Amino acid sequence: MAKITINGTQLKVKKGTTILKAAESLGYKIPTLCFMEEINEIGFCRVCVVEVEGEQDLVSSCNTEVANGMVIETESEKVLNARKTTLALLASRHRFDCWRCPKDGSCEFYDLLKENDVVFEEFGPGIGRNPEQIFGTGISQDQSKCVLCKRCVAVCNEVVTAKVLKFRDEDGTNPTVSPTVGLEFDDAGCIFCGQCTKVCPTGTLHETDHIQKVQALLRDKNKGVYVQVAPAVRASLAEEFGYPIGTPVRETQGKMYRALELLGFDTVTDTNWAADLTIMEEGTELIKRIQTNGQLPLFTSCCPAWVRYAELYRPEYLENLSSAKSPHMMQGSLIKHYYGPKYANQKPENIAVVSIMPCTAKKYEISRPEMEVDGVRDIDAVLTVRELAKMIKRAGIDFRRLEDATVDNPLAQFTGAGTIFGASGGVTEAALRTVYEVLEGSELPGIEYHDVRGATFNSYEGTIKEATINLKKTGMKLNVAVVHGGAAIKRMFEILDSGKKQYHFIEFMACPGGCVNGGGMPITNDLSVAEVVKLRAQSLYDQDAQDMEYRKSHDNPAIQKVYAEFLQEANSPEAHKYCHTHYTQKAFTKE
Amino acid sequence: MSTESQNIRELFENWILDAETKMQEEDLVSNMKNYLLSQHSEICGKCAPCRDGVIRMEKLLDQYLDGTATLKTLKELEQVTYNLRASRCSVGLDIGKNFEVVLENNYNVLYNPVKKY
Repeated sequence: MAKITINGTQLKVKKGTTILKAAESLGYKIPTLCFMEEINEIGFCRVCVVEVEGEQDLVSSCNTEVANGMVIETESEKVLNARKTTLALLASRHRFDCWRCPKDGSCEFYDLLKENDVVFEEFGPGIGRNPEQIFGTGISQDQSKCVLCKRCVAVCNEVVTAKVLKFRDEDGTNPTVSPTVGLEFDDAGCIFCGQCTKVCPTGTLHETDHIQKVQALLRDKNKGVYVQVAPAVRASLAEEFGYPIGTPVRETQGKMYRALELLGFDTVTDTNWAADLTIMEEGTELIKRIQTNGQLPLFTSCCPAWVRYAELYRPEYLENLSSAKSPHMMQGSLIKHYYGPKYANQKPENIAVVSIMPCTAKKYEISRPEMEVDGVRDIDAVLTVRELAKMIKRAGIDFRRLEDATVDNPLAQFTGAGTIFGASGGVTEAALRTVYEVLEGSELPGIEYHDVRGATFNSYEGTIKEATINLKKTGMKLNVAVVHGGAAIKRMFEILDSGKKQYHFIEFMACPGGCVNGGGMPITNDLSVAEVVKLRAQSLYDQDAQDMEYRKSHDNPAIQKVYAEFLQEANSPEAHKYCHTHYTQKAFTKE
Repeated sequence: MSTESQNIRELFENWILDAETKMQEEDLVSNMKNYLLSQHSEICGKCAPCRDGVIRMEKLLDQYLDGTATLKTLKELEQVTYNLRASRCSVGLDIGKNFEVVLENNYNVLYNPVKKY
């Protein structure tokens, strides 16, 4: 133990504790900018500097360990002046067009300037460090806003493990963070998970804008514009309007539907419907592969960032991927080729479908050349939750006062299995509810399968959860695994490469915690990632347990109807035409 | 490091050791700026006080050279110089300490053109 004094208060802390943590234990929150626990304790920004008695210079609290007898001042004049000056210096090379910044209201840098009362005189505001804009189909970068905190680099390297973003300091006075110089994100091996956009304290890294595209679609009188909402969206959209994280879905889902109607979408549908359909297609594929000794384990294909990861980095496993499209692609395809022509007298080419997603990789997914049927693109635009919230605010819609809307479109009818897709382990649990019943002829005991929900969660290392289901009738043991987070995906491939374990079904999600922690979700700085994931996932599990009439995908009458009227049966040639795709190895330029 | 920058370093060492070395405003400012320019190759670009501070100091010195400096310019120059004490490594710390001495020994030279009566 070390005996130290912080701002006149004596305390004992464990040796090896950083000054930042020691101060936190006393209730002092030293401001930080570049700091991310465990993965980015680098002391670059110098915002967290403190004065230590006997030290000539100021020290960064985030990576300086306490020593016995240390006397620390966190709020002295020298510290406050240094903090203000450093922030002003960063501001002098940051472009301030906050009113149109993608970070809009959740900018940590802006908050720091405000909290520290930074005054701009000759200093700025600046016009930006570097005018370059780097585009990508899922995420883009505006380098004029970069404060060089290196958080995105840490996340891309340690959490996602794609190692696309790099800190380039060849010119020490004008370093940059970028993918391979001269390349756009698409060519540099980016999987578009969007985790970098969430940790960026400014609007430097952001989702590629689709708002303008959607507004143009809404203005087009010749198009019937359909909208669909992903499972995780309902657990987070309300956060943008002041609702606490984890607010029960039943309190906000109706308002969300109403807001979409008010924005001018002609028909509101729900991706949860196609999540149920995915279970039918993917589940049937699993059963077939088991029964015919096909390629196992079957990998899920709902997460486009994960699919891109496999295509870029592990193409030898592409045959293991389920050929089922991700739910929103299926929904788009069926809106245009089944619902529109059959029930609304619309031709596929006169229909536009907009997806509201928790994910930036979905923006990339819709641009994949194979995502079309008969020359008609499955989806026309994807909005993240943050973008949708921005559109609602711009339209002057008071979300909190909205009346609930109910949606009676069949493509908005879903089961509890569809709704839990948003949480990691949800796809597996939903699949097990159906697959078990098909193989065993009886319901999965205790319909909630907690083994794949998992109690432990590490937002940096990701998580691998495993479970074995005994199938008594066939005498088979079904080994399933749930893998989320880039680091965990890497670990799982090591296991698969070694051949030590045999699995039948593996659910992969690129973001730690699954879609509830997606790259397009609202940004929250008050709670840890683990807490946010837990609260959002719980609200989805509660909707499944408390609000749903049906909890198994195959019980969904609207799903039974689409098979009866259009797709015939799961994995039929018709189903393959509209709901399945294929994967190919993708190339990127290695640095 | 070039011969030119070595001279600058020697000049700074003289300044620091010998407070008697005096210069005219223009010489002083251009030497201060040259010293900063000579340090560019040393700057690693990681911490803000050094990376952005040095660039800011150069701009402030430019204001002296083009005659647009005001009292605010001098105040900011001091502020950014003292802020180099928050740097991460000895490159920034050294630049800061050298400048602190230069400012102390030559304050009047920098103050006279911007003072207000």
